[in-house]
Amino acid sequence: MNARYGMVIDLDRCTGCGACMMACAAENNVPPIPQASTRTGVTPMLVRQVSNGMEGGARREVFIPILCMHCEHETPCVHVCPQQAVEVDQATGIVMQMPQRCLGCRYCMTACPYHARYFNWWDPAWPAGMEKSLNPGVAVRMRGVVEKCNMCHGRLHSAKEKAAAAGKREIDFADYVPACVEACPTAAIRFGNLADENDPAARETHSPDAFRLLARIGTEPKVYYKSKEAWVKELAESKSGRGPEVKHG
Amino acid sequence: MKVTRRDLLGWSAGAAAGLLFTPVPWKLLDDTSIWTQNWRWIPQPTRGPVEVKQSFCTLCPNGCGVRVRMAAGWPVGVAGVASDPISRGALCPLGFAAQQLNWHPQRVHTVRHRGNSTSWEEARVAFAKACGEGKIAIVDGQPGRAASVAMKTFVEKRDGSYRVALAPEAQALAPYGAWSGLGAIGLGYDLENAQTVVSFGAPLLDGWGAPGRFTRLWAERAAGMADPQLRLIQVEAPLSGTAVSRTAARAWQWVPIRAGSEGALAAGLARVLLDEHLVRARGPMPTMTAGEAADQTGLSGGAILDLARTMVARPPVVAIANDGNPAIAALNVVLGAVGTRGGIVRRSKLAESYASADAVIGASYGTARAVLIDSTVPWDFVPQTDAEVFRFAAWDGGAGQADWLLPAPGFLEELTDVPTAPASAIETYAVAPSLVNAPAEVQSAAQFLGSIDPAAIAVEKIIHQRCDDLFRGRAGTVYGKEATAVAKIASAKEFEEQLWKGAVWVGVPPRSGDLRCELKEWPASGSSGRSGNASNANWSSAWLAPVLPPLASKLCQESNLREAPVGRKA
Amino acid sequence: MSRNALAAGLGFAVALLCGWVAFPRALYVQRQQPLEFRHKTHAEKSGITQCNDCHALRDDGVFAGLPAAATCAACHAERMGTSKDEAILVDKYIKPGQETPWLVYSRQPANAWFSHAIHVRRAALACAECHAAYGESDTARIYELNRISGYSRDIWGHSMSRLGRAPGDGMKMGDCEDCHRRHKVEVGCLGCHE
Repeated sequence: MNARYGMVIDLDRCTGCGACMMACAAENNVPPIPQASTRTGVTPMLVRQVSNGMEGGARREVFIPILCMHCEHETPCVHVCPQQAVEVDQATGIVMQMPQRCLGCRYCMTACPYHARYFNWWDPAWPAGMEKSLNPGVAVRMRGVVEKCNMCHGRLHSAKEKAAAAGKREIDFADYVPACVEACPTAAIRFGNLADENDPAARETHSPDAFRLLARIGTEPKVYYKSKEAWVKELAESKSGRGPEVKHG
Repeated sequence: MKVTRRDLLGWSAGAAAGLLFTPVPWKLLDDTSIWTQNWRWIPQPTRGPVEVKQSFCTLCPNGCGVRVRMAAGWPVGVAGVASDPISRGALCPLGFAAQQLNWHPQRVHTVRHRGNSTSWEEARVAFAKACGEGKIAIVDGQPGRAASVAMKTFVEKRDGSYRVALAPEAQALAPYGAWSGLGAIGLGYDLENAQTVVSFGAPLLDGWGAPGRFTRLWAERAAGMADPQLRLIQVEAPLSGTAVSRTAARAWQWVPIRAGSEGALAAGLARVLLDEHLVRARGPMPTMTAGEAADQTGLSGGAILDLARTMVARPPVVAIANDGNPAIAALNVVLGAVGTRGGIVRRSKLAESYASADAVIGASYGTARAVLIDSTVPWDFVPQTDAEVFRFAAWDGGAGQADWLLPAPGFLEELTDVPTAPASAIETYAVAPSLVNAPAEVQSAAQFLGSIDPAAIAVEKIIHQRCDDLFRGRAGTVYGKEATAVAKIASAKEFEEQLWKGAVWVGVPPRSGDLRCELKEWPASGSSGRSGNASNANWSSAWLAPVLPPLASKLCQESNLREAPVGRKA
Repeated sequence: MSRNALAAGLGFAVALLCGWVAFPRALYVQRQQPLEFRHKTHAEKSGITQCNDCHALRDDGVFAGLPAAATCAACHAERMGTSKDEAILVDKYIKPGQETPWLVYSRQPANAWFSHAIHVRRAALACAECHAAYGESDTARIYELNRISGYSRDIWGHSMSRLGRAPGDGMKMGDCEDCHRRHKVEVGCLGCHE
């Protein structure tokens, strides 16, 4: 049976600590060269801080982790790529980006409605010796290619290998935990197989508090969000782009 | 025969056509494309077996368990340990890139004396000389460790003093320590049993204590609930403009007050609680009236009354300060939250015995001839003294403060132990083995002192002794892959082995009534007036290193989530 | 024949010669393994008859590849015989605790993930299907390094035209795809790419 791996992120639980961002960057060997702004850096997981625009005791803020939504329907980036450097994997539903095949036209970055794709403007570089701390499970990309969240496919590979070595056909689901899911201190990010009705994450997608970002455009993202606060749900369909973003002076 | 241009053209045409029938164009294309994907200067991860080892993070006093993937002896990935009762599987964001720290550009590699490179031998000679000439003061940033014992013993043999830097969470416990005569180190907050927590600017959801402790409690009992089991009330001034701290943004109730008026609010609340008989206590009565408190805080009198009523609506309630402000401590006395379930508790004699000290840093150094600062002391601590300063540090925070800068072990580079975390309600003990070979040029303060005093006991021996003592106490539980009562463990050797593999010993829970604070009068205001977590820059309030892992600095700049930290080099 | 045709013909011939003979010689440079290793000798003399006696899967399922020095040291901690190569192994690598810097013929780029556990355990492929009868060889082959790509000649295959290849000669992505197609195993890009 083909799986459809997805997530439900509980925004009521997210405290905006950024552990998911750090764990993702470390797992994916993202080079620690700071770029000038959010639009030129490589942040496969990026947490955004948004407020309801009010002041005083009525002010509410929410933190929204943004990652590749692994869209299922007419996946925009897959459609536009001239290189077939990205495809929707049949067996897992993961939208798999192969940076080595990418020629860097960045059409997919334009096409992605969630701004979840990032371009490597520069070759990666680490301070002397720090390459020894690189994660062997993920290949390092060079300049000129686009990359994005691949649902920690390196960990999926390890889980598959472990299962095969033990003579099993199916992976032990406990072995496949994406870095962000593992890192979250409040367990706000739930990961699971949305095709399996008994999966807790799959069941949460049916909750009345669950919603998806920009659901109206019909890309059928597999990353759901969940919140009991009405103003947060309204953000999801914001026609102006996004809610008032909190800026630091 | 003359070769003409026509010949050449013909020849070239033939050659070009011929080339197409050779592998040259196709192979060159293929090889060149592979070459472009494998530039020599792109760093590659290590190939080879990956092992998983366990230890504890020592970059702040909380000591969260870490599961480290290692390739060729280097750490290539850090994650939490789900069975760890201290961290409950969580790490602060910085922990996930901590493996980068040992190669940080600001890593200290050589012994430096007033900016000039020198040797350990020179430093040893200078320190030994200082010991012979006068008093020595030693400052320890993580009291209670085996290394702390080594430092304390050294000082006790010579005329000197041993001082500790308290973690921010522990600083807030200082008043109770003073009033009970027990000292702050043996005290903690019993948050697991509290139902209402009133934080006066303490960043409970953002870098306070072990990240997995309160955030998990809050996530399980409060997040997203209209009527939560755990009511978090955050009393805090807004950040610049209209922004709020992360904890205030997620709290059940945010009480915006004027910056620096926490003490006034605490006094006003105590006044109302006593006047309206909302609590059983009869004192101490603050001199401030509710009206005065309203003026200072910017809240209305009615708001203060409402807050007081809300605070006691669902007991047990406890107030948490972000610094040593005695007013908030006095409020806890009024609330009856001292020495009771859900409030301030006394953990154990063990925690006290491990971590007793002569003084907290900040006290005057008098006539000290030399001050030795352990690498666990926060970089922004600068001793106000004329003494010769020997500073151990793994990373150089800049601003050349010490006479001697001595390279200390970095992340997971030395064997140490993990005494009870500050603010924890239960006593714990763990052993943190070194997972990475330390560079040849580093030495810890304890090792340095050991090289001067041949009678010093090695850290490993002290740890062994402690394990032995804990086992013989037959009390508590060991949390490894499963939880096992100590009474059921067969031998001291087995007990110690489990700890070396990453298990945590947890003692018996605190008892009510073990802690008594006598407070006759409302304390005079003693705090600095600092308004809580004045920015969202703190990834972790007790982070010791003067630098962040490079990935953290990068993420500060690439997201709107955190500002780059002030006063800390990236 | 016209002079033009002759010139063209000559050019054509020279190009063919360069392309098929000179080019491979220039493209590949020969490298020696750090020491001569004889599979046959080990099979005959020490009863190591199965490939996975030394080339085994680790506990986590990852293929160990070429055995670590510790595996060789199980027998060769001290010199067992008189061969020059064994002397190099023991003195230069095992005793000082160094790993032997073998040149790996089948080394793939970091972004290609191949799981021996899946192919050998689950799909029950014989080692010889991809690695020929290397286990019966008497010498360590010369390693031919492609100057441009940096990988072994084994990846493209020894035949420049890629025709008439023996099993195991050629490990390009297309070769993997061919086998997958033959066995009707769909994996998609995610299946093999890191």
